[in-house]
Amino acid sequence: MPKYSKLTSIQNDLLSANLSCAELVEHYLSNIEKSQSLNVYIEVFEAEAREKASALDAKLKEGVEKPGRLFGMVISIKDVLCYEGHEVTGGSKILTGFKSLYSATAIERLLAEDAIIIGRVNCDEFAMGSANENSYYGPTINALGENKVPGGSSGASAVSVQTDTCLAAIGSDTGGSVRQPAAFCGIIGMKPTYGRISRYGLLAYASSFDQIGTLTNSVEDAAILLEVMAGADEFDSTVSRQSVKPYAGLKSESKKRKIAYFKNTIESDQLDSTIQSATFDYIEKLKAEGHEVRGLDFEYLDYLIPAYYVLTTAEASSNLSRYDGVRFGYRSADTRSLAETYRKSRTEGFGDEVKRRIMLGTFVLSSGHYDAYYTKAQKVRRMISDNIQEVFKNYDFIVMPVTPDVAWSIGENDADPIKTYLADVYTVLANMAGIPAISFPLGVKDGMPFGIQVMSPAFQEDQLLNFIFTQHQ
Amino acid sequence: MAETSTYETVIGLEVHVQLATQSKAFCADDAAFGAAPNTHISAISLGHPGTLPKLNEKQVEFAIRLGHAIGSEINANNSFDRKNYFYADLPKGYQLTQDRAPICIGGKVAIKGSNFNKEIRIHHVHMEEDAGKSIHDLDPKHSLIDLNRAGVPLLEIVTEPDFRSPEEVDVFMTTMRQLVRYLEISDGNMEEGSLRCDVNISLRKKGAAEYGERCEVKNVNSMRFARQAIEFEVKRQANILNAGGIIKRNTLNFDPATGVTSPLREKEDANDYRYFPAPDLTPLELSSEFIEKIKTNLPPLPAVLYQQFTKDFALSEYNANLLTQEKAVAFFFLRLSEQSKNYTGIANLLINKVIPFANEQKINISEFPLSAKALTDFVQLIEDGKVSSSLAYQRLFPALIESPDASPLALAEKLNMIQDGDDDFVSDLVDAAIANNPDKVKAYQSGKKNLIGFFMGEIVRASKGKADPKAVNALLRDKLS
Repeated sequence: MPKYSKLTSIQNDLLSANLSCAELVEHYLSNIEKSQSLNVYIEVFEAEAREKASALDAKLKEGVEKPGRLFGMVISIKDVLCYEGHEVTGGSKILTGFKSLYSATAIERLLAEDAIIIGRVNCDEFAMGSANENSYYGPTINALGENKVPGGSSGASAVSVQTDTCLAAIGSDTGGSVRQPAAFCGIIGMKPTYGRISRYGLLAYASSFDQIGTLTNSVEDAAILLEVMAGADEFDSTVSRQSVKPYAGLKSESKKRKIAYFKNTIESDQLDSTIQSATFDYIEKLKAEGHEVRGLDFEYLDYLIPAYYVLTTAEASSNLSRYDGVRFGYRSADTRSLAETYRKSRTEGFGDEVKRRIMLGTFVLSSGHYDAYYTKAQKVRRMISDNIQEVFKNYDFIVMPVTPDVAWSIGENDADPIKTYLADVYTVLANMAGIPAISFPLGVKDGMPFGIQVMSPAFQEDQLLNFIFTQHQ
Repeated sequence: MAETSTYETVIGLEVHVQLATQSKAFCADDAAFGAAPNTHISAISLGHPGTLPKLNEKQVEFAIRLGHAIGSEINANNSFDRKNYFYADLPKGYQLTQDRAPICIGGKVAIKGSNFNKEIRIHHVHMEEDAGKSIHDLDPKHSLIDLNRAGVPLLEIVTEPDFRSPEEVDVFMTTMRQLVRYLEISDGNMEEGSLRCDVNISLRKKGAAEYGERCEVKNVNSMRFARQAIEFEVKRQANILNAGGIIKRNTLNFDPATGVTSPLREKEDANDYRYFPAPDLTPLELSSEFIEKIKTNLPPLPAVLYQQFTKDFALSEYNANLLTQEKAVAFFFLRLSEQSKNYTGIANLLINKVIPFANEQKINISEFPLSAKALTDFVQLIEDGKVSSSLAYQRLFPALIESPDASPLALAEKLNMIQDGDDDFVSDLVDAAIANNPDKVKAYQSGKKNLIGFFMGEIVRASKGKADPKAVNALLRDKLS
């Protein structure tokens, strides 16, 4: 079976009876089997996926009931999304064996449109990491390079699409966790506006940054997934009530756009020279197409990473307090007091990176340090957000590289976590400002892909999707 | 015995009111008290991964009701924070509360007692969620956790340190209980923990301007315990100060069994709560229409009714106080007052008969079997001198309860209770009493004037209650002199 790269192709073949859902699921299951060495899936919902596929085939054959909009869409879900009756562990030992009592709102909406969830994939523990190396289940490997990381934290999500084990993956993006692995794996990653998709049922890392996102082979699939998952939800007070636009109705447009880029993000010597020249080439291409592209200065570049890590670790230190060994998940055996239960369960249950971030977050929120770190970082976030709003008064989009370099080798940055943090420099901006961003492949260096991302003002995913769709025609 | 007389006691309260909402503060779980342990729970109140809070709007409305009632400024832009600490009955590892921008700011509550009449200033009122309950004394080896209460909405009322005695605290708590019941935002039940307080106590030399270092006694859930805890603390702190020691700021636990306070934790290892803005809840922006609408719909408050009862209805302070204790009683009185202007008569009937009957039968006063008309007619019978008050209270009232549809006058006639003001009838009885008791007559005439009561008793008994006491009294005095 050839690799399908978008849902409409699958649906055409299903409707013309050239393909059945059962065949499609078998195809993906066999690819999962073949890619086992990459350590992508934590759990494959084999029997369930087969059952749903035959039910869907029967439904299509009978033709009585209209199939959902996502019929033929087989997806993987990151191990931070709750799916009723299924385990969800956040890639952590502390949640081993924990089954969710409910489904995330986004998952419910996908299922309601007949998507088939084929399995639960690996990720950095509680989505904390940029290489999928911080998982209790071990690292996931990028299919394109020997021993190369797939990026993170939705690393395995990216590989699940890259290796054709599913059509699309649902991940989460707190500081680039969807866009960066998409770039490292040569696919498309979309992080919608903060509050566009309900976070109910997404294990929280940093609540004011987290957003569910997609990893797909096509812009079309990103668009329809967004349309299905987005919108108001009574279980999430931070989700927007703005109406969901018909994102899936993509049109090639001739509109000439005003596009900004930040000179210091591209001219930086931190950026790999191959990526740098490819980025400039892309800017020239945009100009050649008649768009107005201008280079601006972004004065907050150096503050992005410090402010991001202060704020996200602060929220994380509080969000992860519930994993205490008392009500669910891992509890250390042989403890003699409540304090010891907490200490041992959390010491044994969390990995190093999670502990590092909990300690950082606890520190920046502690009295005596609060104003110097947390308050200041909040101010920086506000300034950055205001600055980006300003830019969008005059421009439709901002383009920026996704990563300073291509994927590194597994274990390469173990000794220096700060180096890994700094690699997030281009992706955290969209989360700091709460705006949508889509990364897509731009080029290849030494066999490893890299990408470029386009950002738009909040809730203008329709504009953004159409623009990138047009680019890809 | 500690010498405490050179000190002034300074007390501030943090009062927790459990709100009588149907569901919890941030999820749809039932918020009712008294269910089997761990039955009012869900993934959200258990703090399961991925769950998020959704604010119960009733909680906001209730907070504003209280704010209006105590004259607070309603903070239209208020927001929630997370208070981080670990405890087994705190599922999320943090409590959602309002640290920076509480919903009500300022306000005051008047309290009055035998030797004080003052206003307690309110610092602020904020919304928060309750924790679950840890039970340490049911199992020898385990602590048991009941999470029914986890997430139940609370208001915390923080006062200024304006109290100077346990009596003032007592009256304040009683006033608050009355107020929250009037406002129908809480049942105010201290036994069930719906109303409880943390008490901050410090001492300072009389006349000193600066406050002393304070200690906080946590979770006092009865008035008696509050008084005991304060009295114990005053002595304990005075002893330390008298011995030249200094008070260390401390959080204390009060043990009702021993009457002793003991440190919960020293400040050295006190929790750093690491408050920060709750990222899962957007800040509230309340419209002035919303705030004003709640004010318009506020029920009459006890202090206002007390004024009305003493001024407009000329009731005694004692009666007015009794009748405004409970909203249902006050409203019942108001209903009767629309039918009869004999306010004191109505008040007496309610206090002596209707309220005790309702209490005995454990019914709400609004379910009292007699109609407002029957009750006011009953009062009128006494007022008109048709039935003596003692006969009316002792025999006619129970008879009316038995036949609630009967008219009081008809029933009194049927039972032959109509008072006889007839001169001959009364005169005969008086003459007979005088004739039958020559010694007492002599004693009366030689100065034992209080024997009039004896004669009155004899005559009223002989008349089977039908003689009008006023007429008897006048005639007796006349004939005895």
